[in-house]
Order: sequence, then C-alpha cells, then structure tokens
Amino acid sequence: MENTVERTVTLGSKSGLHARPAAVFVQHAKGFHSQITLTKEERTANGKSILSVLALGAEHGDQVVLKVSGSDAENALNKLTRLLEGDLG
Amino acid sequence: MKVLRGLPAAPGLAIGTALTIQPAPRIDPTEQRTVEASEEITRLEHAIIQAIALLESLQQTATGPLAGILAAQREMLDDPELKQRAIELIFGGSSAEAAITRVTDAYADQLARLPDSYLAARKDDVREAGQRIVSQLRETASEIALTQPVILIARELSPAELAGLDTALLQAIVTETGSVTGHLAIVAQSLGIPAVVGVMGAVSQIASQSILIVDGERGTVTIDPDTEQRAAAERRQAEAEHIRLNLALYRDRPGLTADGVRVEVFANIGSPAEARKAVEMGAEGVGLFRTELIAAQGLPSEEAQYRIYTEVASILNKPLIVRTFDIGGDKPVSGLDMPTEANPFLGWRGIRLGLDRPAEIFLPQIRALLRAAINHDIRIMLPMVTAAQEVRDARMHIEQAEKELKSEGHAIRSVSLGIMVETPAAALTLDQFAGLIDFISIGTNDLVQYTYAADRTNARVSGRAQPLGLATLRLIAHICRARVPVAVCGQMASDPAAIPLLVGLGVRELSVPPARISIVKQVLSTMTLAKMQAQGQDALKGG
Repeated sequence: MENTVERTVTLGSKSGLHARPAAVFVQHAKGFHSQITLTKEERTANGKSILSVLALGAEHGDQVVLKVSGSDAENALNKLTRLLEGDLG
Repeated sequence: MKVLRGLPAAPGLAIGTALTIQPAPRIDPTEQRTVEASEEITRLEHAIIQAIALLESLQQTATGPLAGILAAQREMLDDPELKQRAIELIFGGSSAEAAITRVTDAYADQLARLPDSYLAARKDDVREAGQRIVSQLRETASEIALTQPVILIARELSPAELAGLDTALLQAIVTETGSVTGHLAIVAQSLGIPAVVGVMGAVSQIASQSILIVDGERGTVTIDPDTEQRAAAERRQAEAEHIRLNLALYRDRPGLTADGVRVEVFANIGSPAEARKAVEMGAEGVGLFRTELIAAQGLPSEEAQYRIYTEVASILNKPLIVRTFDIGGDKPVSGLDMPTEANPFLGWRGIRLGLDRPAEIFLPQIRALLRAAINHDIRIMLPMVTAAQEVRDARMHIEQAEKELKSEGHAIRSVSLGIMVETPAAALTLDQFAGLIDFISIGTNDLVQYTYAADRTNARVSGRAQPLGLATLRLIAHICRARVPVAVCGQMASDPAAIPLLVGLGVRELSVPPARISIVKQVLSTMTLAKMQAQGQDALKGG
C-alpha cells in the first residue's frame, strides 16, 4: 500500500547536516523501501543521496520538511524524525 | 640551501629525505567511450564496488575526525544520484572516467557555493571520491606505498590518502594546497606528524631524495640544509623530545621536591588561548595574567573585561592571579593619552598610572574582576608597587567598587589582594605592608633591572643585571621573610639553575611560561628541600 506522510522537523545536530551526521542519516534512510526527501526552503534533496543532502546546507536549528512515501512510510517517518531531532552523533 | 615558506599546519620538526609525488593527470571531461554503453556502465559499477572496498579497508583503522571524513566519503561513493547521473552521461556518449569526473565536479561546485564554510570545504571530499573511482577505472593505484621513512611532498594530500599511508614512516608532510584549519592539518595534528601546507611550487622545486628540514611551527621547508642548520634542528628535536617525555611524566603531578614539599607550579599567560595551553601543559593555576596584553587595541570596557576574565577562569577552573594593567611609557595603549617620557621604566607606569587615573583605568578593571570573582577563584595583583600607601589607596578604590556593585544589586565576595615585588623599595619595606596584602609575587626581570640599575633592553648594559647575583639573592631572601606566601613569576622561575635557590630561600610558587611547566616540575623533583636550603644559604654568602 502506497502512502505519503510528511513532517516539519527542527535539526538537533549541533553541526547541522555536516558530513558525518549526513552520512548517518543517509545510511538509515537507505534501510527503508520508501522514497525519502528532505526539503529546506525551495530545495529538495533525495534522502538516500549524501551529495544531495549535503547540498541543502542545512544547519543546526533549521526547519526541514521530511517527506516519506512508500510501504514503510509511517515507520520511516518516525525513526528518521527522531534521528534528525537528535544529535546524529 | 634554499628555504620555502608555507603555512604551519601541524607542529613538530622533521629532518629527512623527500619523496615527491607528481599529481595524477586530469581526466579530459569530453572524453568519449569506445565501447557500448552497457559495457561502459558495467566498468563503472565494478570500479565503484572496488573503490568502496578499498575505502572500507581504510575505515577499519581510522579514528577521530578522519573516521567521520571516511564515513562521508564511503556514502559518496555509494550515492545513488551520483551513479544515476553518471550513467545518463555514459548513455550520451561519455567515457565512465569523464562521466564521474563531470558529475563529481558539478556536485563540488554546488557545495562550494554554500555559505557554511565547513560544508563548502566538502567539495574536496566529493572530488576525491570521484578520483577514487577514476583510479579504479584506470587501474592506477592512487595509494602511495612507503618503504622507508620519508618527508612526503605533494600538490595536495587528502585525509583519506593520508590514512592509506604507513604513518609510522611519515616524518613530515608538505603540500602546495591546504589551510591551517583544513582536514589535513587536523589529521596531521592528531597523528603528531609535522605539516606545512600552502607551499607554492613545492612539487616542482623539491626533488625526491633531497634532504629537508620541515618546521611545522614556523611553516618553513629548508632544502639541502648546511651542517650548522642541521645541527641546530637536531638540537631542537632533542629538546622537544625531552619536553614531550617530561610532559607525559609530570603533567598531571603536582610540583613537589624530592622529599615531598609542595611548590606550586603556575603559568604566566596573556590570553584565553594561553590559558588553554596552560591547562594542557599541567599548570596548577595561573600566577600571572598580563592583562595589558588584552588592551592592545585600547582598554577594553568593563563588560568586555568581565567576559574575558570569566572565560579564562572557566577554562582554568584553578586559581587565577590577575595583574592589573601594567601600562607605561614603553607600552603605549591606543586611545589612552600618555606623555612621552625620558625614562619610561622609571616613569608613570603600573599602579602609579592606575591610581592617578582611576575612573579610566583602575576602577573598571576592579569592577570587572570583582564581578568575575563571584563564581571563580580570582585574585588581584598590583604591579610596580613601591610603598604601602599605594596598596592603601588601591584598597580604598576596591572598597568603593564593592559598595557600588552591592548597591547595583551584585553579589560580592572578598577577593585576595597581592603585590608584585619588583622594586628594591617594596622589597626592603615589606613589614610596612603587614595586614594590607595576602600574597607576594616577585617580578624578577624588573627587580634585577632596578637593583643593578641596568636597562634590560639596552644590550650594552643588560649583561650587568645579574639574576643570580648576590644583590638579587639577598633581596629575595629578605622578601621571603614576609609573613605571606611568596611566588616568583619572572624568567628566573623557569631557570633550572635558579629553581633550587629560590625554593631554598622560601619561594613556594613558581609561575612560568606554559611550555616550561613540566621541566620545572622535573627540576623540583630532583632535590630535597634541605639540599635546596643549603644551596640557598651558601649562595647568600658571596665569594
């Protein structure tokens, strides 16, 4: 069953989506079947592509829209939201 | 002999043989494939898998910042969009090498435009990820194999390339690109490998096998040094090694004589950065914070001073003795109207200036210090004191500041007050200061200069000023009879020949430059107090 869910998340990582936090996020995102995107202002990134996520230039405290569509969308949205709100160590 | 200059990126001094790496030729971005698209795509996919395998083998031993960089690069190699865009270019006729180079260059340019300088710097990681795939396609090993100790010279060296090297064989790194805050600097520092970056023309000017001295503190590379330069570098290496060994042994130990008598080893500092260095080097406190050094651009406001004192005290979390501004004719401060004097060392300076212009100089500093002292062990020390009346006057101002602060609603804690003893006048009348001061710190540099009437900045006479001379030692012995703790914060405090005499005469705190702390602790530990006292008494007799 295809469904699409989205949520606005405030980035908790102290360094924003820098190289290491972005790598951690992308690794988790790849674990889901759903399509995952992150949108900051007018830019949208493929959540499974680190280059695309880095190019967002998202910093600590920025609001990003996490959008997930696919069979495991609910689960992915919840897990990835927690990740983005945390420090992504 | 020739010296190239660059930026000091990681400290240390190396003497060794150069290994110069010629940069790999650039891939032509318009290069066309010579085989079917499907075959070219298989080549690309195969190269990506191999590049990932190689990177994962590097990841196994990586720690700290390098681990983060490699984790991000691993994801870049495995990026689905990168691969998709490269495949599209291959369908359009591109070779796999050209396709990967064009796509990674495009991402690198995109990152370079980000306002966040850290993210913008990731452009190099993207380009490197591309080069890793290209070198698999070309079947050229991008890894450099080291077989003997070398100084590596390269146009650029990425942290991942560095991780692929046997770092035990790497004596130093010299690159043409890079910055002092770049990845290479951070990783080289964490590995303890001296590095100089931003050396223009290094690859073309330094031939493999040349003998080099690389100075990671000054940012210089000396090619084919002469015997004298080589000997000097070897001496510095030996000294640095001595300090390093000492540091490991003594950093976390308190200052103790061989028989366990406590002599506190404090640091002299002039900035928050030096406070950090002091903690790193094992200081038990700060015995002299030269506040005039924070006034280089003019006297800071009370608020600005409050922030600096709070910052330094928080970094230390140990006793902090702050000397009030020691400004004078020889140390002009911008924005402060000061007359030109014929004899600035005998002129309107130190506490004289502070007390004569309290509203401008002394009071704002005292208020900032009293406020910062609420939550920290901050003590106040007055410079250039000659008479007890000066301390009475200073105390009057301090009490006034306390009253004002209380009426403004600030909490107030009573703060220890001490003096620098750097004039014979103060040294010989310390009984008159009884009840007025809580501690004394001997400023030996000035005390020696005033005792021998020899200007320490005048090379013709400075040799006549004798730190270990009879007059100096007798004055110090006299000062140590005062009924308050006595410290020394001049150069003598870190002189191995002077330390036993000072402690033997009664000094119980030595305040020294951060880099000297471990040496001072070592010297203290080699002798008993009784032996130091015997040496001290002996030295007082004279010839």
